[in-house]
Amino acid sequence: MSYIVPIGPYHPALEEPIHAKLYTEGEVIKDAEVFVGYNHRGIEKLCTERNAIQTLVLVERVCGICSHSHALTYAMAVEGVNGIQTPKRGDYIRVITAELERLHSHMLWAGIAFHIIGHDSMFMHTWDVREKIMDALEALSGNRVNYSMVTIGGAKRDISDELRRDILAKLDKFEPELARITDIALNDKTIAMRTQGVGVMTTEDAIRMGANGPHARASNVDIDIRRDSPYCSYGDFEFSVPVWPSCDVFARVVVRLLECVESIKILRQALENLPEGPINLGKKIPKIAEGQCVARHEAPRGGLSYLVVGNGSQFNHRVSIHVPSFKNTPTVAHMLRGNTVADAGLIIASIDPCFSCLDR
Amino acid sequence: MQEYKQIQITKEEIVPTALRMRHDGRRLVMIYGFYQTDGQLRVSWDYAVDPAVESYYVVGEGSVPSVAEIYDEAARWPELELYELMGIDFEGLDTSKRLFLPENLLETQGKGQILVTPLAELVDKRDELLGEKKEASEE
Repeated sequence: MSYIVPIGPYHPALEEPIHAKLYTEGEVIKDAEVFVGYNHRGIEKLCTERNAIQTLVLVERVCGICSHSHALTYAMAVEGVNGIQTPKRGDYIRVITAELERLHSHMLWAGIAFHIIGHDSMFMHTWDVREKIMDALEALSGNRVNYSMVTIGGAKRDISDELRRDILAKLDKFEPELARITDIALNDKTIAMRTQGVGVMTTEDAIRMGANGPHARASNVDIDIRRDSPYCSYGDFEFSVPVWPSCDVFARVVVRLLECVESIKILRQALENLPEGPINLGKKIPKIAEGQCVARHEAPRGGLSYLVVGNGSQFNHRVSIHVPSFKNTPTVAHMLRGNTVADAGLIIASIDPCFSCLDR
Repeated sequence: MQEYKQIQITKEEIVPTALRMRHDGRRLVMIYGFYQTDGQLRVSWDYAVDPAVESYYVVGEGSVPSVAEIYDEAARWPELELYELMGIDFEGLDTSKRLFLPENLLETQGKGQILVTPLAELVDKRDELLGEKKEASEE
């Protein structure tokens, strides 16, 4: 029997609205279509009515998970237009916030993935461990989301020596818990049965369709903007870029957990070698020079890019925001084909989609 | 600071440039569109030539060839977005399905206006549409 099974825009397995139409033969998905745009807020348009500092506040609200990534990439683009070189200490504080954000984002996603496959004890354990990172972010910025740690020309808030030691101590507690979660994810039979061979996207397809971030790396595509086009002093840190060859949902779990290990490495290096000096270039509202620049940042979900066009005033002439989910979501229909309806929610979630980011 | 190179090309060079980049294994970062301060439309194809971004752009062309056959979904979605929100035509692009705009706005009031019309005018337009709907429901 052939059916068209609609999923979403609002569905228990999805935290945000997306609509997928599954064309099925019995239990098997023969074809699929994906529809977005249920969360479109016109943020790019709103940016043109604001100055650079107001825009930082606005773009930080594009996404509740990777808010720092948006503010950081916008700031980098404005700095690119104006030819501003940021102070080293400011760069390091940006990196520390970005890597803590990556840790909490990956742990959040892993918890949801475990919940979708019905492994709720792992879901609760993962989210419990994630709280250590949320505590660190709250200690750093005063907030669990929307950290407001970035300004044009550097970081907005400094890190005291006491806070630095406190975050390092939290990482000491977090690391063995992460190792335990990774060990269970790699060896648990239930997780393997629900994720291995599910939602496969080959390396060739991932490259052809423009997948990026952990989603691409789980298809054995070796890309990472932090290494390939270093910014914010990422070139100072030693870290590896994990890739995994199995190209399925299992690989997406493993890659994200291994990336957490690398983030901890970066955080330790940044916190232990935090340079002395200013954190920013002052508090003036900058004029955005006439011209344009594209900045790229490896956000938790993949490559985030901002185009900023200036006209010599304090206001943006144009801001264009393109998020990893905009590049990864078109791969969903491809991955759904040949899988069962029961796995559809997991496959959609496996790209760690953010429709708040995607729709803007 | 990341390197950002801008290279102006002609409309005829868009597809050969995309083919060359695809052949060299370069990723398409994004297709951008905006009206320059002099009022001319600029469309750019930005490729990751690590560590730089190379931006190949054309100016004053409201209709440009699609590169979706070369870059698949990585180009199709950005092209659809610019088609819907800025009204740029991509020759050869299938526009039968919407991306962001609701179906009832695609071919009527919405297409090509979101990123082009000043915000105040968009607010007036919204109020006008909502007013019409309210009147209809009251009737």
